[in-house]
Amino acid sequence: MNKRIFIALALILVFCGQALSQTGTKKKRPLPYEYGRVIINNYSEKANLAPVVFEHWIHRSKFTCRVCHVDIGFAMKAGATDIKATDNARGYYCGTCHNGKMLSEGKTVFESCSRNVTAKDAKRCERCHSFGKTVKSDYDFFSFSQPLPKERFGNGLDWEKSEELGLIKPASFLEGVSIQRKSLSLQNDFALIPTVAGMPEIIFSHKKHTVWNGCELCHPEIFMGVKRGTVKYSMVDNFEGKSCGACHNTVAFPLTDCQRCHSTPVQP
Amino acid sequence: MFKAKIIAVLLFIGLAGLCGVRAIGAPSLSAAQPSPAQEAWQKEFDEVCSKTQDAMTFSQEELTVLLRRCDALLPQIEKLDESRKKVYMGRLRMCRGLYAYVLDAKRNEKK
Amino acid sequence: MPMCSMQKGTRKNERGLLLLVLACGVLLLGNIASAQIYLPKPPPEPSEYGKVILDNYSTAGPGAVVFDHWLHRSKFTCRLCHVDVGFAMQAKATGIRASTNRQGFHCGACHDGKKLFDGKTIFAACSDAANDKQCARCHSLGKKGVREYEYKSYTKKFPKGIYGVDWEGAERAGVIQPADFLEGLSVKRAPLQSREDFSVKAHYPWVSDISFSHEKHSVWNGCEVCHPDIFPTTKKGTIRYSMFLNIEGRYCGACHGKVAFPLNNCQSCHPNGPFWAP
Repeated sequence: MNKRIFIALALILVFCGQALSQTGTKKKRPLPYEYGRVIINNYSEKANLAPVVFEHWIHRSKFTCRVCHVDIGFAMKAGATDIKATDNARGYYCGTCHNGKMLSEGKTVFESCSRNVTAKDAKRCERCHSFGKTVKSDYDFFSFSQPLPKERFGNGLDWEKSEELGLIKPASFLEGVSIQRKSLSLQNDFALIPTVAGMPEIIFSHKKHTVWNGCELCHPEIFMGVKRGTVKYSMVDNFEGKSCGACHNTVAFPLTDCQRCHSTPVQP
Repeated sequence: MFKAKIIAVLLFIGLAGLCGVRAIGAPSLSAAQPSPAQEAWQKEFDEVCSKTQDAMTFSQEELTVLLRRCDALLPQIEKLDESRKKVYMGRLRMCRGLYAYVLDAKRNEKK
Repeated sequence: MPMCSMQKGTRKNERGLLLLVLACGVLLLGNIASAQIYLPKPPPEPSEYGKVILDNYSTAGPGAVVFDHWLHRSKFTCRLCHVDVGFAMQAKATGIRASTNRQGFHCGACHDGKKLFDGKTIFAACSDAANDKQCARCHSLGKKGVREYEYKSYTKKFPKGIYGVDWEGAERAGVIQPADFLEGLSVKRAPLQSREDFSVKAHYPWVSDISFSHEKHSVWNGCEVCHPDIFPTTKKGTIRYSMFLNIEGRYCGACHGKVAFPLNNCQSCHPNGPFWAP
C-alpha cells in the first residue's frame, strides 16, 4: 500500500520535476559594485547581528589575493573559514588588519569585533554586519572606479591595467603575518586546447596568476592534476565553481567573458 | 598537612588564573610576549613555508625533507589555542599541500 | 468483527489509490497535451508584443515604466543591452532604480545625457533636472500621448512577416542597422568564430526537426546572452528540450516567448510542420 503511494508520488514528481529545476533562464547579473560580494553568516544571526557583507573590490585594490587567502588564511567559499568574533578580537582573520591600530592610506583601520562591546559600538559593528541595512561606507564604488580603466562584466574594471598604470598598488606582504619570501620562480605560460572545435585556444598565464596568488592558493586544492593533459577541464565544471570557476565566477573576471581566456585564433 | 594542602590549592588557582588570562590574550598581532617554545615553532613554520615560491626548483629529496618538517609542525600547531590553531592549520595545509603536489609532479615527470 | 473492519478499510484505501492514479493520469495527459500538441494561445498585438512593465519601485512615485522592445531592437543588438549593459531577461529581475540609473548603470548606461547615438545625445534617465513630461517618456503606464515614438508610424516601412515585423528581413533590406557597439560602454572584442548551424531532433513524428542557426543567433546575441545561463551545456544531447519548457520561458522560450518571434510561428523553427501550424 505504502509502496504504491510512494510510486504514485514519485510519478507526480517526475512529471512536475522538470518545472522545478532552474536551468534555461537568464540569471540576474550582479551590478559592478555587487560583484564579489560575500555574505557571511556562520554565527552573526545567532548573535543577533545582521550577517556580514564583505566587498571584494575595496580589499583587492589594496592587497593581492595571496595576502588574505594564504597569509591570513581565509577560505575561498563563504562560511568555510568559520570566523568567530573571538578570532577577530585576537587579531586573526579580519582582526589581522581590522584592529584599530593598522594604518592604511594614512587612516587607522577600524577595529572589528572587540571583546567588550557596548551600545556605542553598534555603529561600528554595522560597518560589516550590514546585510539588509543601508550603511554608509567610507568608500563609494562609483568614485573609486571613476579613474580606473573599464572592462566588461564583473566589477566592470580592468584590474590588470589599473595595476599596470599604477592606479592601484596591491600589497603582497603584510608585516607580522606574511612570511618573508625571497624569490619567485615563475612557471611557464601554456596553451589549453578546447574540446569544442573552433573555439580559440586559451593561453594561460602562470606569471599573471602567481603575481597575485603565489602557488599555494591554487595548488593542490583547486588544481590537483599534476601532469598536463590528465585533467580535462570542462566549462560546465567551471561554471559550477570548480577549477577556474573557483575565482572566475564570483570574484575575478567572470567566465562569461569568453574572449579573455579564449584569445588565440585557431591555427588553420 | 592541611597547611600544605591550602598552599597547593592556592598555587593551583593562581596558576589557573594566569593560564586563563594567557588564553584570552591581547587582540593585536604583536601581542603579549610569546613564550620561547611558541616562538620556536613559529620560526620553523616561517622557515619551511617561506620556500613555497621556489618549490619547483627543489629536488625530490629536498621536497621530502620539507614535507617531513611540515608534518613535524602539525602536533605543535594542534596544541595552540582555538584561533591560532584554525589559522595555522589552514596555512600549514596549504604549504604542505603545495610541496606534496610539486613532489608528485616531479615524480610523474620522471616516469 | 475485526475481519469486516479490515475489509472496509482496504476498500477505502483502494479507492484512494485509484483516485491518486487517475490524478497522475490526468497530469500526464495534460503534460503531453500542452507540450506536444501545442495549441497556441494567440500572442498579443504586435505593438504590445515585447512590452515590459517595470513597477518594482516606481508605481508610488512617477508611475510604472513601460519598456517597448521594438524601439530599442531596431537600433541595437540584443547583446548590447543584455550583455554590455547587463539587463536580466525577466521583467523586474534586474533591480533598476533611479539611483543605479543616475550612477550610469542599467538604463543610465546609455541614457546619461552624454552618450551619442545617431548623431543625437541620448536623454538622461531619472535626471533631477527632468520635469514631469520628461519622466513620463518612460514612466508612461496608463498615460496617453507621452511617448515620443509610436509603433505603427515607426514600423510603417519595416517589412512584415506572419506576425508583426520581419526583423531579419528588415535588417537584410537595410531598413534597420542594429548597432552592436556603443562608444563608452562596449568593450571591443575579437569576434568569436560563429558556431555551426545544426538540427535538433523532434521527439514526435508530427513535427519536423528543428533547424537551428547559430550564425543568426550569434549575430545579434554574441555568445554570452545564451551561454551559459540559458544553455549551460556544451555537449549536444545532454538537455532534453521540450515545448513544455519553452512555453514556461526556459531555453528557447527565454526569448521566443515574449520578445523574439513567438513560439506560435511553428514553421520558423520546424520548417516542415506541424500540420496545424498557422
